Amino acid sequence: MGTVEYIQHHLTNNSIGEGFWTFNMDTIVVSLLLGALIVFAAARLGKQLESGTPGGFQNFVESILDFVSTNVRDAFPGHNPLIAPLALTIFLWVWLMNFMDLIPVDLLPYLYQLITGDSHAYLKVVPTTDLNTTLAMAFTVFALIIFYNIKIKGVGGFIKMFLFHPFGKFFVPVNIVMTLIEEVSKPLSLALRLFGNMFAGELVFLLIALIGGTLAVGAAALFWAPLQVLLDLGWLIFHLLVITLQAFIFMVLTIVYLGMAHDEGH
Amino acid sequence: MTELGSEARKKSEQAKPKPALNFLLLSAGSMFTSMIVAGFLVGYALDQLFDTTPIFLLGCAVLGFIGGIQKVHRLTSRIDLPAETKEEKDEQKS
Repeated sequence: MGTVEYIQHHLTNNSIGEGFWTFNMDTIVVSLLLGALIVFAAARLGKQLESGTPGGFQNFVESILDFVSTNVRDAFPGHNPLIAPLALTIFLWVWLMNFMDLIPVDLLPYLYQLITGDSHAYLKVVPTTDLNTTLAMAFTVFALIIFYNIKIKGVGGFIKMFLFHPFGKFFVPVNIVMTLIEEVSKPLSLALRLFGNMFAGELVFLLIALIGGTLAVGAAALFWAPLQVLLDLGWLIFHLLVITLQAFIFMVLTIVYLGMAHDEGH
Repeated sequence: MTELGSEARKKSEQAKPKPALNFLLLSAGSMFTSMIVAGFLVGYALDQLFDTTPIFLLGCAVLGFIGGIQKVHRLTSRIDLPAETKEEKDEQKS
């Protein structure tokens, strides 16, 4: 397999259906499994909560909860019991989906090919390198933004926001288009940032994996294989930072956007 | 608490430095880009609606550009330092 085919093969989803109704099964299954993992871990922990001296895992989860609730308190002006759980879900879920990037790129596809017996079966294990996932999450947040905009400000207030923001009352047509652009850009920037960062990260992992795949032949492996390990380790450590940061930014931006929807003076 | 008191409290809450929000600066670039892209999208939709290609497409792209600059400027002009460093900075100024 050539290098181009190798990369293309790794970046193609295992999908069924065609056209608009294409379902990327690997994305759906992996993200659902990760969501189920969160629910399972939370349910298990919920059964054995200790109030005295919490164990290691409870301690860890409590520190995450604390971190998220601090951020919500910092960035969110109003009171809404939905925001903190939403932020926590987004943070954990996006982080776990991003974390799939750190699993060796060939491991899961190889196992999948062994199980199915089809040596050309596609499997893209990182759900966030699929634009569908990130856009779906961004549109969910966008729907919440519009819902709370209308709920807090009323239909009149929502229309007023379109008419008189940002240039005052003398530029009403421009304001409408401008606010429209601003609103559309919110889910776009959320989705494209996460997708872009994760896709690029995955691509670098693939390129590093190609060092071993193409150059390490015979005695040359003595030089290239250690280099691959070194590069992989370096990028892995850096990427661990990136995935955390991206999950964090997705969470904070959700809070900020929803906070703006709750801010009546806006 | 009176209405006035809660209002004042809200003000002081808003004035508090929020260093966590500084991470948003990381996304200033993608915000700018997405504003332009959103401009093109909205312009394209409007053009399809009124059959006026390419007037709205270009106009909205320019508006998106302006809005993007405005947004990034607003974002970068309010960097929140942690409380202590902010006080130190204020002292240095005076």
